[in-house]
Amino acid sequence: MNFESVLAHHLVDHKLFHFMVGPLDLGLSPLIITMWVSALVATVTLSFAARSRSSAARLTRGMIEPVALFVRDDILEPLFGHHANFYLPYFLTLFFFLLTCNLIGLVPYAKGVTANIAVTASMALCTLFLIQFAGVKEQGLVSYITHIVPSGVPWWLWPVLFVIEVFGMFAKCISLCIRLFANMLAGHIVSLSFLFLIFIFAQMNKAMGFGVSPAAVGLALFIYLMDVLVSFLQAYIFTFLTALFVGGAVHPH
Amino acid sequence: MDKLIVPDTGLMFWTIVTFLCLVMILKKAAWGPLLKAIDEREYRLREDRLAAEEARAEAERIQKELEAQMAGVQTKSKELLAAAVKDGEALRAKLKAEAESDAQAIKDKTAAELVAEKNRLVDELRQEVASLSVLAAEKLMRKSVDEGVQKSVLDGFFRDLDTSKKAGRN
Repeated sequence: MNFESVLAHHLVDHKLFHFMVGPLDLGLSPLIITMWVSALVATVTLSFAARSRSSAARLTRGMIEPVALFVRDDILEPLFGHHANFYLPYFLTLFFFLLTCNLIGLVPYAKGVTANIAVTASMALCTLFLIQFAGVKEQGLVSYITHIVPSGVPWWLWPVLFVIEVFGMFAKCISLCIRLFANMLAGHIVSLSFLFLIFIFAQMNKAMGFGVSPAAVGLALFIYLMDVLVSFLQAYIFTFLTALFVGGAVHPH
Repeated sequence: MDKLIVPDTGLMFWTIVTFLCLVMILKKAAWGPLLKAIDEREYRLREDRLAAEEARAEAERIQKELEAQMAGVQTKSKELLAAAVKDGEALRAKLKAEAESDAQAIKDKTAAELVAEKNRLVDELRQEVASLSVLAAEKLMRKSVDEGVQKSVLDGFFRDLDTSKKAGRN
């Protein structure tokens, strides 16, 4: 048994069929289906919590409301002021979508949606577009572009700083993409590594395989539990940093 | 393993589409009602707090008013009590003075009556004594004396009696 092939099997997405539209292959894959399931779960849970009057809904609402209030009052309000309500649905959806994807990625047989660089890159791309959109919307196109460089810079430094700032904007988004991807992927890889220890030892000697399995399972379980924590943490960090970057574009001073 | 870090454009397309659709759907289905409920609750809480503050201010105002009224009533009652005490004192003094003057008048009247009675008795006694003396003298001398002599003798007798009485009193 080859560890690399196991990793490739678990972590790389394989298309179920190909459906080429120009350069895009829009064929479905288990990962896409998992992502849709996550989106469905998020939609059903959140709509149920927001709309239903039953006690179960009240319980769910009791868990969601503090998050929503935190995002609104502690993250968006300081950055956007009274425009916070306009951006609030985007950020709440971002948080809960990432959270659901992270958590469903931990379910056996489901794919780690956010442990795929294409997914995190897409989310970072959305952030990049949101930065441009918010900047132009709140400041106007000309003002936004001139304010990409901080004010008070000598004129001869301006072109250099403009290039640096634009690159910085991309760098921020790339860092968002890699942070989420690496964090979620690392959990999966470490979990798989611990479990794979059993098979490595079993190839040497069956008894050793049995002997090492409690420790391996225990460690894998520990990493798994930590992944639950990391799921919340990374969803929060992604949302918070997105808000920070967008806030920076909205208020250049 | 290169596939792990090379993004698949098809997947990116689907992710962006899914995410943006989710933003639209959740905005309508979840965040709208949820945030509306939160806003309504916050509004209600704010209203309740304002109403409670108003009620408290009103209660405090009423309490102050009542306290002021109580203080007014107390001073008034004190004044009334003081006035009543003063009136009582005055009445008592007046009654006492009246009673004293009455008693004095009674005493004076009684004394005057006593003196008059005594004088009357003394006069009567004197008449009695005089007639008895004349009678005694007539009987004693067995001779009739004319009215003029009798009168002069009697006057002399009374004068002597008076002087002797005065001397005796002295």
